[in-house]
Amino acid sequence: MSDSTKSISPPPRVLVTKIGLDGHDRGSRIVAAYLRDAGMEVIYTAPWQKIEAVVKLAVEEDVDVIGVSSLATDHLLLPDLMAALGEAGFGHVKVVAGGIIPDGDEAELLRAGVSRVFHPGSPREDIVATVGDLATQARAACANG
Amino acid sequence: MSEQPVQLPLPGFESARAEWRRDYDGQAGQDGILRNRSGIEIKPLYTCEDWGEERYMEDLSFPGQLPMTRGIYPSMHRGRTWTQRQLVGFGTPEDYNHRLKTILAAGGTAGSLIPCNSVYRGYDCDEVELPLLGTCGAVVNTVDDMDLCYRDIGVGELSTAVNDPLPFTLLALLLAVAKRRDVPWSRITGTSNQSDYISHFVANHMFFRIALPGSRRVLVDHVEFCQTHLPGWNPISVVGQHMQQGGATPAEAMALTLCTAIQYAEDCRTRGMDPDVFLPRFTFFFDISISFFEEIAKLRAGRRLWQRIVRERFGAKNPKAWRFKFHAQTSGVDLTRQQPLNNVARVAVQAIAGIFGGLQSLHTDAYDEVLSVPTEEAARIAIVPTEEAARIAIATQNILREEAHLTDVIDPLAGSYYLETLTNRMEEEIEATIARIDAAGGMFAAAEAGLPQDMIGKSARVFQEKVDSGQETIVGVNKYREAEEPTTAPRPLERPDQSAMEAHLARFRAFKAERSQAAVTAALDILARAANAAPGTPGQNVYEKVVEAAMAGVTHGELCACLRRELGFGQPLVMP
Amino acid sequence: MTDRSAAAPASGKLLERLLDGEPAALAKAITLVENAGAQAAQVLAGIQSRLGHALVIGVTGPPGAGKSTLVSALVGELRRRGKSLGILAVDPSSPLSGGAILGDRIRMAEHACDPEVFVRSLATRGHVGGLSSAAARVVDLMDAAGKDVVIVETVGAGQSDVEVAQLVDVTVVVCAPGLGDEIQAIKAGILEIADVLVVNKADLPNAERTMAQLEGMLSLRDPGAAGVPVIATTATEGRGVAELSDAVEARAEALGGSVRAARTLAQIRLQIADSAAELLRRRLNDSDDEGLHALCRSVQRGELDLENAARRYLSDYLVNKA
Ligand SMILES: Nc1nc2c(ncn2[C@@H]2O[C@H](COP(=O)(O)OP(=O)(O)O)[C@@H](O)[C@H]2O)c(=O)[nH]1
Ligand SMILES: [Mg+2]
Repeated sequence: MSDSTKSISPPPRVLVTKIGLDGHDRGSRIVAAYLRDAGMEVIYTAPWQKIEAVVKLAVEEDVDVIGVSSLATDHLLLPDLMAALGEAGFGHVKVVAGGIIPDGDEAELLRAGVSRVFHPGSPREDIVATVGDLATQARAACANG
Repeated sequence: MSEQPVQLPLPGFESARAEWRRDYDGQAGQDGILRNRSGIEIKPLYTCEDWGEERYMEDLSFPGQLPMTRGIYPSMHRGRTWTQRQLVGFGTPEDYNHRLKTILAAGGTAGSLIPCNSVYRGYDCDEVELPLLGTCGAVVNTVDDMDLCYRDIGVGELSTAVNDPLPFTLLALLLAVAKRRDVPWSRITGTSNQSDYISHFVANHMFFRIALPGSRRVLVDHVEFCQTHLPGWNPISVVGQHMQQGGATPAEAMALTLCTAIQYAEDCRTRGMDPDVFLPRFTFFFDISISFFEEIAKLRAGRRLWQRIVRERFGAKNPKAWRFKFHAQTSGVDLTRQQPLNNVARVAVQAIAGIFGGLQSLHTDAYDEVLSVPTEEAARIAIVPTEEAARIAIATQNILREEAHLTDVIDPLAGSYYLETLTNRMEEEIEATIARIDAAGGMFAAAEAGLPQDMIGKSARVFQEKVDSGQETIVGVNKYREAEEPTTAPRPLERPDQSAMEAHLARFRAFKAERSQAAVTAALDILARAANAAPGTPGQNVYEKVVEAAMAGVTHGELCACLRRELGFGQPLVMP
Repeated sequence: MTDRSAAAPASGKLLERLLDGEPAALAKAITLVENAGAQAAQVLAGIQSRLGHALVIGVTGPPGAGKSTLVSALVGELRRRGKSLGILAVDPSSPLSGGAILGDRIRMAEHACDPEVFVRSLATRGHVGGLSSAAARVVDLMDAAGKDVVIVETVGAGQSDVEVAQLVDVTVVVCAPGLGDEIQAIKAGILEIADVLVVNKADLPNAERTMAQLEGMLSLRDPGAAGVPVIATTATEGRGVAELSDAVEARAEALGGSVRAARTLAQIRLQIADSAAELLRRRLNDSDDEGLHALCRSVQRGELDLENAARRYLSDYLVNKA
């Protein structure tokens, strides 16, 4: 515990969503609960979001981080999402992906601007800390940009 | 049950137990209550105080006889072993045809048609993003596509499990091919593997296409149609796998599956069908986790409950209706990306549990294909198993059967103090959940209100918390980690040949351009009219119209779109 | 964590873009207001002359009654009538972690790509009364951004969700059959604020009984309740939603122009008090004042009680610096 008597100001805002065709949500439900329990505000959606819907959502909800869960190849659409966010002027928003993402595809996603890929078995603390840090970075980038 | 007096006081029993207690209680860390995944307390030792021979006839009896605990057939695996059923999907219809031929050449008699995710969502190939096409299964949209799938193969020659959610367009296309080739429908055999729309609404949203009330109606129409035209077809497979992979405990998964089956049976009976005719065609599909004894007990308890349910609730007189026939698949959720060869051991343990649980058909996962995910997802090639891993998965089954001799004796664990006690406790636990669902008005109403979704979400979180806190060990993940973590080799996702997929798209467009548009419009009108008629109206069976439309050249996506429009879009109940 | 309100884009430009109806500007302005950032006051001052265009509808009722689903259906109907919309959906923050899962959008998927529908989810962040403390200001921002209709969906905690009536023109109270105890809550509190009463899930058995029950309760309410229509809807199928839209519009018409503009002085005074309290709370929490730290420590050591600490804070520090 710090000796500061202040509490933390605005909680990070995180979008937890699924794009493409798959609808399995065990992972996204658990991650959403992790982030909530870490004090973040999580916007949770139905699966099958279109890329343009995710961008619209990110804009309207003014999120800091987008977490996309992909279990069945939907991660192949992430480069399109990155491009669309940039076009909308929301390139400062950080994107992380989690689920079944073959190692061979990870490099491609990182090149496209995805900040981090979480594989099965990623520890809770790692997910929470990474998303928290990325939110801070996103806010800084937004403020400067 | 645990209050049963010991019939024959065993010499030295009391003093042995006293000594054992002293020894055990002296050990550190033994004060907490150990519970299995279903929340049942597991004692350190079971004796004839817990379960005794005097219960033999009531709890067990003989294989093929009530209460069916020991198996649904008199000779079980000694007489006939299980079917080995591996999934095949991926790419274009030609790719599927190629794989099917390989299976047939190897002596197989059963196939599994796994369509692409776009098909699952109810779309044709021209309605989705190109990069997603064919990555998870075969892209089959038209009667021509289905014809290609079965090129040089008789459609009546092999039994096919079609992973085909309602409105069962793929079966309709298969029937259209049969008609085209003059093969009588009575020779078409297999299973509508994904008919369990409630499990899709609750746990596997990908397969859910039409709003709940519409789904309910189409399923009953389908059963009715199959009863009349397809004597060799199993129209209903109730899928416990979806709920368990979504996070339900084994007891919850069994209970929710039984409740779902009860719902379907009630709906069929309400339509005026005879339980003694439709119940023998019900099949089930379960997930086998690595919680070894719990899984065996789950399957035995489920079998015992089902015969009671069909007799008490549906007055089933036909002994075939009492049989709890199920396919089982080892659970991908337990497999790890870390130290992947460990998965070979995990799959073997899961498979043994399924075999001792009395399964009729088994799918063993390859150690590198499915990693902590809903199996039927990734098994459809999100990560393609290497040839060696696929071979090991099959070899595991052969080793268990022929080297380890697991099938020599029927229900070999029967009479174990622990297993029989656990089977009884699991049965109680399952019944308690069934009672909750009954109280909520049955599975349809409960699902609509979100009750099972809530249960599953809570159980998933409870389990995850145990993993996070290290209370539940996962070797190589939260314990016994290695400094240098071996993971699966960095293999990119295997993607279907883009030029082949583009050619397929072109062929699809040509098909649409060349068919009789008048026939298509007419067939869709007839389908829409049937969908709007009251359920059960003579001559207005929706599924019959789906089949007729498929024969008229209507595509999969058009059929789904029509029913989505007429019966409501299937937005599942998503809960955070 | 950095305070993102600290270095937000110049408020002048933001204000201009907001008044132009640019979604990103509206979103940023909401964030500023929600976090009481430095430019929030300027933006809010800048929009005052542009308020009063939007019809503001409040939707409240017990959890699970189908509020979000109904809002989505209502949005569909109002879109067909050519309106642009802003939706503010409030969900509770966890009292333990301060985090929240905001899930109302799940039921609004139909409008996921419609540029004329702007949805913002807010967490209560400890505010009681079914809304977030920024709700009234967020409604103003949406109004100023040119939305024809603004819909506010409350948490749905039951009888405490009455605050919404103060910041909207028309309050729609939603209930559903089979919610049993919630009927009591409705009876006890939120029935009194209803301008329009909806029995949703009319497809379920017992819907008619619920209708009758509510009509009965209404007749016991004050005479002003005579004109409150009771409408049956099936939100999942869009049934009854056109009637609901008609009823809402008729109600607004009957009340004459913007009801929000006709707030009584007493209501305004209450709202100022709320805003002032909120401002104070925030300032106290964000302050780096050494004297304030000292006060906290005195309370911790038991040298000072809370009441007197608060009084001293107000007189010693705040007054000097306000
Ligand atoms: N049967 C039926 N279910 C509805 C209706 N409207 C909403 N629901 C369901 O009720 C549940 C709760 O809906 P939601 O809109 O999230 O309620 P809220 O908590 O009040 O916002 C969801 O499962 C909806 O699908 C309706 O008209 N009929
Ligand atoms: Mg809601």
